[in-house]
Amino acid sequence: MTRDAVIEADVGVVGAGPGGMAAALRIASSGLSVVVLDEGARPGGQIFRQLPEGFAHASPPTEPPSHGAGHELLHALTGSKVSVESHATVWDARAPRGDDLGCLWFEQGVASRALRCKAIVLAPGAMDRCVPFPGWTLPGVITAGAAQVMVRGYGIKPGSRAVVAGSGPLLLPTVTALVSAGVKVVAALESAPRRAALRALPGVLRSGARLREAFFYARQLWRSGVSLQFSRAVFAVEGDGRVQRAVIGQLDREGNPIASTAKTVDADVVCTGFGLVPSIEIGQRLGCRATWNEARGGWHIEALDFGATNVDRVFAVGEIAGIGGSEVAIAEGRAAGELVCAQLQQRGALTHVRDRSRAVRAAADAMLRAFSVPRGVYSLVKDGTIVCRCEDVNAKAVRDASALHGDSLRAIKMGCRAGMGPCQGRICAPSVQAIASRGSTRAWDEPVVQIPLKPVRTSTILDAPKV
Amino acid sequence: MTESADVVVVGGGILGCSVALHVARALPKARILVLDRGPIAGATSGRCMGHLMVTPDTKEEYAFSQTSVRMWAGLQEEIGGFDYNPTGALYLADAPEDLELLPVLQKQFSDCGDTAAILDQKQLREIEPGLAHDLPGALFYQGDGVVLPMTACSAMLRLGQRHNARLETRPGTEVTGFDGIGSRMTAVRTKHGTITTGNVVIACGVWSPAVAKLAGIAALPIVPRAGNLAITAHHSTPIQTQLLEVSYIRFAHGAAKVDPWKTDEDQGGHAVNMQPQSAGGCLIGSTRQFRGFDTTLNRELLHRSLLRAQRYAPGLLGLPIVRTWVGLRPYSVDKHPFVGPWPQTDGLWICSGHEGLGISLSMISGQLIAAQMTGTPCAVDPTSWLPRRIL
Amino acid sequence: MSGDLRIDGVSHGESIEFTFEGQPVKGHKGETVAMALWAHGCQALRNSSRDGAPRAVLCNMGICYECLVRIDGAVVRACMTEIEPGMIVERGGKS
Repeated sequence: MTRDAVIEADVGVVGAGPGGMAAALRIASSGLSVVVLDEGARPGGQIFRQLPEGFAHASPPTEPPSHGAGHELLHALTGSKVSVESHATVWDARAPRGDDLGCLWFEQGVASRALRCKAIVLAPGAMDRCVPFPGWTLPGVITAGAAQVMVRGYGIKPGSRAVVAGSGPLLLPTVTALVSAGVKVVAALESAPRRAALRALPGVLRSGARLREAFFYARQLWRSGVSLQFSRAVFAVEGDGRVQRAVIGQLDREGNPIASTAKTVDADVVCTGFGLVPSIEIGQRLGCRATWNEARGGWHIEALDFGATNVDRVFAVGEIAGIGGSEVAIAEGRAAGELVCAQLQQRGALTHVRDRSRAVRAAADAMLRAFSVPRGVYSLVKDGTIVCRCEDVNAKAVRDASALHGDSLRAIKMGCRAGMGPCQGRICAPSVQAIASRGSTRAWDEPVVQIPLKPVRTSTILDAPKV
Repeated sequence: MTESADVVVVGGGILGCSVALHVARALPKARILVLDRGPIAGATSGRCMGHLMVTPDTKEEYAFSQTSVRMWAGLQEEIGGFDYNPTGALYLADAPEDLELLPVLQKQFSDCGDTAAILDQKQLREIEPGLAHDLPGALFYQGDGVVLPMTACSAMLRLGQRHNARLETRPGTEVTGFDGIGSRMTAVRTKHGTITTGNVVIACGVWSPAVAKLAGIAALPIVPRAGNLAITAHHSTPIQTQLLEVSYIRFAHGAAKVDPWKTDEDQGGHAVNMQPQSAGGCLIGSTRQFRGFDTTLNRELLHRSLLRAQRYAPGLLGLPIVRTWVGLRPYSVDKHPFVGPWPQTDGLWICSGHEGLGISLSMISGQLIAAQMTGTPCAVDPTSWLPRRIL
Repeated sequence: MSGDLRIDGVSHGESIEFTFEGQPVKGHKGETVAMALWAHGCQALRNSSRDGAPRAVLCNMGICYECLVRIDGAVVRACMTEIEPGMIVERGGKS
């Protein structure tokens, strides 16, 4: 099957997670054409991962109530006119301007393609925030997200004995996914203190869906016999060429490890995640303003009502507009979809969808404020601990570079190469800045965006359709 | 806030860092400050390639560049840490008509008392199996090398600090003016305060004319010449040697007649330059354009660079490009850098205008400044590079 | 390569064979290179570019580039590349 190098649609959506699916469905329902570009193999995003075609669960898996919405969206997508381009890595983007269409250039396998459209909805999601610790480069240390992809996306166990550690609401789904897969969870460690969970409570109580979700996880944990321990972290991981043991222990009020509490447990996989970081590069490339809000994961695209951004006909929904979870993404996707249709069809937008997205966003903010990463956890990073995995740069090199070259992200990059590798600094940037700023809570530098937005083959750039 | 220093270097790029290193060596007790508006190595030195290139166009240029490249080997021995790799350089012929350029270049090297070898198709493939099989030949010059310029800046500064513990960097410090008494430099004013000093070295690359103007030099003839670059991911270099199209010499140094005040994108030419990196990536350059301070990447030019590059190294097609960017070379209108004292102001020095050879020539340039400042012998004759020529 | 980390309660699709570092590996259609290897306990997909240490999947969603491998002369993310029959996969980086 040969596919056109250049395709056109009224609206281009980036990301087939909850926000992108919701936006696309809303747009398609009003008769506009919409194409969704998604890097995954199947729609659903990270949260509503589906097994590959030809795979099946023997009995329906136990899922949290929020996944009901995912099934509905996926089902609706199948019956809709929304066209989804999977395996599509967007590497450059241009916003629509005047009568000129916008353009999204993407790599799909070995093909170099482009989507031209009158409006762009950005829903690229987020990634796990990693906090380095000694040994975290050993095979077997994976992100919380990676563990979920293995279990829910491929029916594969990350290991047989797991330690789950980090911070924030995503630890619970990770633990339950592991338990459901038959993995023994030897420890589940939340670095935030117990009072953080209590602070999160009002945000949970404001949303019926979140409350149901919380009950589900409480029940799952209780059944599995795993308990979430607060103020605890993985201090180090050890092993010969792979994870064999984890050193775990208690953190003080600031999040600093208390060495005397350290103990070693046998484990073959460590799943770690300290909340999420919004993926904003494509928004920046299109000229969208980014803003800093720690509770929303740091830098995110500034979205107004209906997901509108400062760039005409470019919209940002879900995690790119600040971490908020799938309920927020769906509400914002619908709202943005509504405004896109209203604009392209030259009518007024319905306000109830906007009101709904405002309300769920406010509730999410209230809950996530409770889970800021305790600064002290960065003191787990020893001089010799690798911070930038692409370029093998350790923490001492980061500190030295910061002293000599300046303490901005770019200065440190120039001084020690941190962030120069193929992840383009996505993995290390938050920790590089935390280490260099030594616990200061100032806003970090806005990451600089260059093309390609993600690495793509030379041939993709060479074969890029000229539009 | 007022403080004092013996020497203030304005500009924390490769030239400023080399000046700081050499002055620190010569004056181990002096207080030396390196100021930069942004990060150290944050501008051109962080956006360029790291080719240590010996240029045999004239005997004088040969001595200048060859001495500098040799000094780089010394820097590697003394401190290292900047991915130094003496790969040599291959000047590649694309088509049979380029073959005639090889003996021309070879003769330039031999006229300077050096040697370079002409390789036929078969010999070329033995040296670089990743090259296109139809390339007719190349010239191999052994004396060139490769460094990572940003960490080379760090290495120069750290080595300087070993010689002189009073060498400090001040990133994020913008110079706003200079004070003088009569024709004597007395202080540097910055956004954060005044630094009294008797010696100021302007080493700000393309920003040198603006800073020089603050010091009373009306028109230092340096203009930005933009180059776009791309880099592949680690584990992804198709080549192991520094590569240049032999036609590069037509544009970069000698014959091309260019008017820097025009902004024609094609002017000044376009020839590929590929550089293997220690971590296994490959840098791909490079275009030459006069278009002011604009550092927006031009996709059309990127396309042309990559197209040329894959013609030489077809394996590039499947390798991931991680990043692309634009750097600004400080192009000196008479094609010679400015290295030395400014005769109209005591204590004012210039070290700038090295176009695409700033990395190569940084070591010797720093040495010349330090030697002239302290009255010690210069490693090469500094006459041709003295700024007084523009008066 | 011993052991199998595939979850019992999930039926995996059609079997496919490919090679990794010259060794035959059995996977299932729809699996990525990274997952097919992980299921066999084979985690290290590249050697780090400077110290040569083994590296494996970190994010499993195409962000970290820790799983760069070489397939047919191209360098690709093992976590985003689906296996195909007869595919020849080599570890990324220096050995």
